[in-house]
Amino acid sequence: MNSDIVFVIVVVTALAFDFTNGFHDTANVVATSISTRAMPPRIAVGFAALLNFAGAFISLKVAATVGSGIVESAAITPTIVFAGLIGAIGWNLITWYFGLPSSSSHALIGGLVGSVVAAAGADQVIWSGLLGKVIVPALIAPVLAFLAAAIGILIVYRVVGALRPGPVTGGFKLGQVASGGLLALAHGTNDAQKTMGVITLALIAHGDIAANDFHVPRWVVVAAASAIALGTYTGGWRIIKTMGSRIIKMDSAQGFSAQGAGAAVILAASHYGYPLSTTHVIAGGVMGAGAAKRLSAVRWGVAGNIAVAWVLTLPAAALMGAITWGVTRIFGTGAVGPLVVSIALLLTIIAVFARRLQRGSVLTAEAS
Amino acid sequence: MIVFADPIVDWATIGKVIAAALVSSIGVSLAYSLAVLGATRWAEMRNARRGPEATGFALLGLFGVAVCAAAIVGGIIVMSSK
Repeated sequence: MNSDIVFVIVVVTALAFDFTNGFHDTANVVATSISTRAMPPRIAVGFAALLNFAGAFISLKVAATVGSGIVESAAITPTIVFAGLIGAIGWNLITWYFGLPSSSSHALIGGLVGSVVAAAGADQVIWSGLLGKVIVPALIAPVLAFLAAAIGILIVYRVVGALRPGPVTGGFKLGQVASGGLLALAHGTNDAQKTMGVITLALIAHGDIAANDFHVPRWVVVAAASAIALGTYTGGWRIIKTMGSRIIKMDSAQGFSAQGAGAAVILAASHYGYPLSTTHVIAGGVMGAGAAKRLSAVRWGVAGNIAVAWVLTLPAAALMGAITWGVTRIFGTGAVGPLVVSIALLLTIIAVFARRLQRGSVLTAEAS
Repeated sequence: MIVFADPIVDWATIGKVIAAALVSSIGVSLAYSLAVLGATRWAEMRNARRGPEATGFALLGLFGVAVCAAAIVGGIIVMSSK
């Protein structure tokens, strides 16, 4: 009975995390299309939500990596998964409150690793998987997106540079409908699968799936796809309000190259099962497209913030996951610990939102 | 350094990701640029009543669009396959 309650809490928490992922990342996915006026904001957001949903059904290799390639699934309990999720949400909340950059994907993996180390020991973490499937790709992917976008835009300018600007702008705005759609599809593919992996890990811990028979049930795919799509759609209002202040100005050809590069990197990585920070990849693409035209057009401070996020997020979320595990243990091995932590987190979120709203900066303080 | 040892980091697969991302991204940028070039020049040539050139640019534009469509559809099919 206790195990069932904890399992339900884990699934609800994982889907809530997925929802916030979509909510937070709407900006990254549709900003370029909106800033170049390739699509009206409301249509761009709806389109992105729809393709986020579709993207979640394309592949399950990232889910397999998260569910079976980073921690030993046989050593997992639902409470460990819960502690990892709370560690990730807690770290995201702290970084959001203080306006620091973060990556939801890295926070999720960091939280999980931290709770596993605290609960079952460091030997239950697959360190080679963490290094080879998460850390190294996390370093390579944004640089790759930067290069792909920079080379892409240089080729574009070479081919169409002598043409009249009007038709070229119109042509690339049309192209952005496709490249923006692909980016949303890629985002849904990589990010929704992380939640699928975590829920499947909880299913293994709960005894519903054998540890040596990793597979993602259909209901998990549908639930994760729905949560991220709903988050993306709900996050849209924020984009419409903050569009003028947060989005980097670029032409439609740059937008096309940035989105195309981001989508290509995320889709290729997803195909081989690498869970990436989609935020970092998209930022890499945008900077590459900007840098190729004019180095000073790029907000290099953002690049610095991303580098800080790389270094901080994994260990900090791991620490939060370990602390959460410790707190749940104070209340024993049953469902009381996770229930108390869930209620405490919910109250904290309400208090933090209220405080932020009072200060009137909730819309602009969001980490990039 | 152990990081560079194959058992820990699968550099061959990471190399495939890098190659696939660069080839598809840059290839689609080039193909779509040709599509825009073809469409723009086609309109200009047609207005100037230069039929053969207009046809050539129309074919170039269609080729660019076809390459982009093939890359996107092909990529999704490859990803969806087990």
